[in-house]
Amino acid sequence: MTTSPNVALRRRLIAVSVVATFAISAAVPSIASAQSKKAKPVNLKGQKLSIYGWVSSPEEDAALTTILNRWNKKTGAKAKFLPQKEYDTAIQAALASGAGPDVFYVDSAKMPDLLKAGALAPAPTGAISNPNDIYPSLRDVFTSPEGKLICPPKDFSTLALTYDADFLKAKGVNPPTNWDELKVAAEKLTTDGRTGLVMGFEYPRVGVFMFQGGGAMTDAKIKKMTVNSPQNKAAFTVLSDMYKNKHLQAPDEISAGWAGEALGKQKAAMIIEGNWVVSYLKKDFPSLNAGYAELPAGPAGKGTFAFTVCYGVNKNSKNQAAAWKLVDALTNAEGALAWTNEFNVMPARASVADKWLAKRPNLKPFVSGAQYARKFQFVPGFGDVQGEFNKGLKDVFSGKVSFDDYATKVDKAGNSVLGG
Amino acid sequence: MEVLSLLNTSIGGASGKHRGNTRFHYASRQQLNLNVGETMTATTPLAGATPRRPTKPAKTGSWLSQDKRGGKALFEHDVRTGWMFLTPFVLGMLIFVILPIFTALWVSFTDWSGITPPLQATNVGFDNYRTLLVDDGLRRADFALSMKNNFYYVIFVVPIQTALAFFLAFVVHQKLLKGRDYFRLAFFFPSITSSIAVSLIFKFMFQTDGLINKVVPGPKVNWFGNSNGAIHNLLGIFGLNKAPGFLGNHSVMGLTFWDWLSGPSVAMCAIMGCVIWTTSGTLMLLFLGGLQNIPESLDEAATLDGASAFGRMRHVTLPMLRPQVFLVLVLGLIGTWQVFDQIYAMSFGGPDKSTITPAFWIYYQSFRNGQAGLGAALAVILCLIITLFTYIQRRIVSDRSVES
Repeated sequence: MTTSPNVALRRRLIAVSVVATFAISAAVPSIASAQSKKAKPVNLKGQKLSIYGWVSSPEEDAALTTILNRWNKKTGAKAKFLPQKEYDTAIQAALASGAGPDVFYVDSAKMPDLLKAGALAPAPTGAISNPNDIYPSLRDVFTSPEGKLICPPKDFSTLALTYDADFLKAKGVNPPTNWDELKVAAEKLTTDGRTGLVMGFEYPRVGVFMFQGGGAMTDAKIKKMTVNSPQNKAAFTVLSDMYKNKHLQAPDEISAGWAGEALGKQKAAMIIEGNWVVSYLKKDFPSLNAGYAELPAGPAGKGTFAFTVCYGVNKNSKNQAAAWKLVDALTNAEGALAWTNEFNVMPARASVADKWLAKRPNLKPFVSGAQYARKFQFVPGFGDVQGEFNKGLKDVFSGKVSFDDYATKVDKAGNSVLGG
Repeated sequence: MEVLSLLNTSIGGASGKHRGNTRFHYASRQQLNLNVGETMTATTPLAGATPRRPTKPAKTGSWLSQDKRGGKALFEHDVRTGWMFLTPFVLGMLIFVILPIFTALWVSFTDWSGITPPLQATNVGFDNYRTLLVDDGLRRADFALSMKNNFYYVIFVVPIQTALAFFLAFVVHQKLLKGRDYFRLAFFFPSITSSIAVSLIFKFMFQTDGLINKVVPGPKVNWFGNSNGAIHNLLGIFGLNKAPGFLGNHSVMGLTFWDWLSGPSVAMCAIMGCVIWTTSGTLMLLFLGGLQNIPESLDEAATLDGASAFGRMRHVTLPMLRPQVFLVLVLGLIGTWQVFDQIYAMSFGGPDKSTITPAFWIYYQSFRNGQAGLGAALAVILCLIITLFTYIQRRIVSDRSVES
């Protein structure tokens, strides 16, 4: 069978016209949408923005990328998330080169170093929508000594009491609300191969007892060490009493990697951990009926830590205006909810707390912590002082070293770094 | 050959007039070689038997002296060509080795945070060194602690890994051993595995629920949670739990004598086990090379002279292996003073700072604690320490070779 050249030509014409129709029909809406985009700030179009962060779970990385892609589509910008392994080293090298990413994660503990080095561009007035909506305890973390908000928090976590609800019920114990109840509960729950209370022996856990007792590691301005105080001594005494009777233990003493694992493996009845433990328990120990309560209050009231991270804008970024648009989109009420709703990290804005809680009402104790949480932050070069604080904890709790000797030693070491 | 030689001669003559032209230059060298070859054949008794190899005699170096006739410029030109070939390497060396060394030295005199570009840092003179070595405070005590930890690490790891490596090499060298190649590979395998991977496997093995505690009878040891020193533990068995007065009351660099005498911590012992296991395979290879170089006739002669197996080892094998022993000890010493990966992966300096070493502390201060200036000062001090120990060791080993 042969086709005449005429027919072949006609067929080709038809094919071309069909393709052309499709092309036009596809192009028309895109033209239309391009016109509607003109209302948005033009400067975002085609702007390349890089975001450095650490590697977290694949789900989290994917979720952030999805959110960014949505924003890119809406604005025409090209923002990209580049998770870094060994983040501290990577970001330091990138910043020291004088260039670096436009936007990067700033951990609350690392904030003073970056601020002192002048690596962060402070948020211009009006760049962050409704900053008063951000919890004051978190706003304080990212505010410079001069009182300027540097960067808006991405999300936050607090510490709360996490427990095996079925086990507590079986033993007839209610979640403790103060130190005395805690001691009693830990004693009653130390049974059936379990330890009543399990937590890591380190400042980010022990510190909450110091707050509850009315003490702290340093004075408010972080100029002088204040470990050696009657308030701290009271807090240490509570922990020491429990530890000596083995009602309180560190995870490594009951062969668990961390407190969450101890609870999941039924080696602990109660633990002190942050809200990151929620998804871990759900995933690795789905049969566990986990309960959450605010940390027991001490003589000075309630106390917990807020761990938070902000999106910092690099001072050397050439696209600062675009970078602030992106940061605001990620951290305003809408953005904060979009991001945190996927995970068990909490939105840093009070206005969306209820919406977030609607999906997970049992996590209220973590959100309530935002009201009285203290920051996990000191001054540059304070890391090894914290190490010194952690170093002697077991010996003090066990009674091998007296609190006074320990506190004097830590204070001396800390003051040698603080210069006080 | 004669024609070629003639041709070369004529070109060589021309090269004298056209100095600096590479092509002629090469030709002339070849001609010179030929000349040397000819003189050699003339003087060597075996002249007729050996074919002329025009390029070989250059080895004798005599072409250079002959060259005086050709002119000095020829030599200078070679030097220039030589440098030209060396340039890429020298540049790389300057940029990646020499420059960083001087940068580190310079940074050690600043308060650089590690975050801003280093040139913006302020000069603080000897402050960092004073903080580490003189001022009574946390930084000096931690430096002393890291030195103590590393010191115990070195005096346990270096002798054990050297002895083990020698033993392994000796075993694998035995002709009667069946499956020698298999054992060679098996012993060498840890060395070609990533040190981080090996460290993580050891970390699992040393967990409280891990393999070690299951296999070894007795109470479960919380390896990576135990910061007690091994010597302190040993003394504890005899009831000595606290520092006797004079040891506890006197201190050097912020650590009491009692602290200095702690021995490696339990966690450090686990790390030492891992390192010894990993490195002895590499060092075995060095010993094996040495063993294979010892002529069998020496051993046989010693046997004929009535030497026992031990005597042969003591008086034949070991003296012949002196260069390898020196190399292994130096490599071991440098490597152990620089231990980092295993600590980073297994303990991160913990528990209670009992596994911090100067190398780890450099990293911690520079990248985790924002004190890059302090870290650089530590690096300079560590460099001096390694140089000093290597020098001392060199003196000891070379003294011995004079003795025998």
